[in-house]
Amino acid sequence: MDYVLRADALCKQYKHFKALDNLSLSIPRGAIYGLVGKNGAGKTTLIRLVCGLQSPTSGSYTLYGARHDQPAILGSRRRMGAVVETPSIYLELTARENLIEQYLVLGLPSFEGIDDLLKLVGLADTGKKRAKNFSLGMRQRLGIAVALAGDPDFLVLDEPANGLDPEGIVEIRELILKLNRERQITVLISSHILDELSRLATHYGFIDGGHMIRELSASDLEAACRKCTRLKVSDTKALARVLDALGLSYQIFPEGEADVYAQVNITKLALALDKEHCEILTVQERDESLESYYINLIGGGRHE
Amino acid sequence: MSRLLAANFVRLKKSHAFLAEIIFMIFLGIYEPIVRYFDMKQSGEIFPLDNGFFLCVALLLILAAVLCSLYVGTEYSDGTIRNKVVVGRRRPAIYLANLITCALADTVLCLLYFAAYLCVGLPLLGPFQAVLPQVAYYILCTFLLSIAASAIFTLAAMLIQSKAATVAVCLLGAFALLLAGSYIDSRLSEPETYPSFSLITDGEVINEGEEPNPHYLRGTKRKVYEFFYDFLPGGQAVQIVSWTVARPWNPPLYAMIITAAATGCGVYAFNKKDLK
Repeated sequence: MDYVLRADALCKQYKHFKALDNLSLSIPRGAIYGLVGKNGAGKTTLIRLVCGLQSPTSGSYTLYGARHDQPAILGSRRRMGAVVETPSIYLELTARENLIEQYLVLGLPSFEGIDDLLKLVGLADTGKKRAKNFSLGMRQRLGIAVALAGDPDFLVLDEPANGLDPEGIVEIRELILKLNRERQITVLISSHILDELSRLATHYGFIDGGHMIRELSASDLEAACRKCTRLKVSDTKALARVLDALGLSYQIFPEGEADVYAQVNITKLALALDKEHCEILTVQERDESLESYYINLIGGGRHE
Repeated sequence: MSRLLAANFVRLKKSHAFLAEIIFMIFLGIYEPIVRYFDMKQSGEIFPLDNGFFLCVALLLILAAVLCSLYVGTEYSDGTIRNKVVVGRRRPAIYLANLITCALADTVLCLLYFAAYLCVGLPLLGPFQAVLPQVAYYILCTFLLSIAASAIFTLAAMLIQSKAATVAVCLLGAFALLLAGSYIDSRLSEPETYPSFSLITDGEVINEGEEPNPHYLRGTKRKVYEFFYDFLPGGQAVQIVSWTVARPWNPPLYAMIITAAATGCGVYAFNKKDLK
């Protein structure tokens, strides 16, 4: 597989605090990689390292095949854009002037793409309004527009939905999906809003305590979060015999619990268990979300 | 770096702080010779063009502190310095581009003052009394001092990530340098001796000759004061304003040393710095 970013045993230490601890990750080309973790887990630190704002204490990462400490990394960085924490925009300048600044920094020969970029992020009508008078959503979109100047192949977004209203969140989501589908931009996105992330991401990385707990694709996550019926019974061995006989897939847990991954006919199951002298104590329909998966994962619950 | 400079100059043109300083310097350049002209008319004394020509140097440190801290501080407060690093611009280039922009802006401010002063002063006060090479030397000292001041304040602004703290540090630094320069100037200006007088009982005052001044700096102490007078930008400013550079090689040489040292330290530290 072709990877845009690969990190290997990254560590970042601030005096006595270890923000990243042997973190490794791989972001495939064309993916929307969702970085999930609680506050202080190391998401922003990782993004700062990847963006070259800080250097790792140990470990390394490669961006488009260039190691972070090699001169070639500068060439790779020209293929990326980022919004780290808050949108990086000059508040005293207009949207257009902000883009002109970034075009000049990039050394682009003309300003032709600016109007298209403003249209893309929905800021074409802002005219002479300065960025300091923009709403939070408009600033966020301008930040993304600045990051998109120079047509990057890799976009890094740190909490892009932070502080946005529901309409703004939908707008940003649509924009990210559009960029990924129409321009094949690979996106690394960290977010607290897991429901929102689950609508976007094709790959996930779960971080806790500066360490990568798990990396998996959206399809793997979907399989892990598939619908099931959770049963609590008096005898799990009897339950296993009955489920085997019925040809249903399942997983047994301690304390008499089991997940059955199929539509269960409760009457049939109850009659079959009764023959085995096993009682059904409780029945629950479960549909695990990214949120509950994350909480189980980070909270030390079931690890598959 | 030319790309960074192009972006910086576009932003400088839109900077309110720079615009305000331009207006202030042009106003000062016009106001100063007019006031001197009317004073000359009133008192009958001659106020040559030379006297107020380098007055801008006294304000140069403060103006440089304001401009550098606001201009560079905005990069941190608005977070836009990240846009440059993320897209692969080298940190030394970012640092040097900011330094060159600030130094050039300060030099432009001096030039505007000189131009305004000459436009109004030449017809009102007449030509310079000093010879042209001397004027050129002091102008060179002024430019080198403005670059050295920019290097010092850019160093502070690039290493402090809070704009408010940068403004405070730069302004306090500018005032401290000026006060230090004035203090050293007053200490070095102490006369070696002063006349001693005795009052005789019938009211007659008799001059008893010269007595040594206990405040006069001698030996190594005087040499140390003279070094700092020439080395510190505040001391250089005082000497340029009053046309009293005693050791002609020192101020320009020290200004260049300050610029090189501050820039070297700044580039090294900024290269290692963790940015937020």
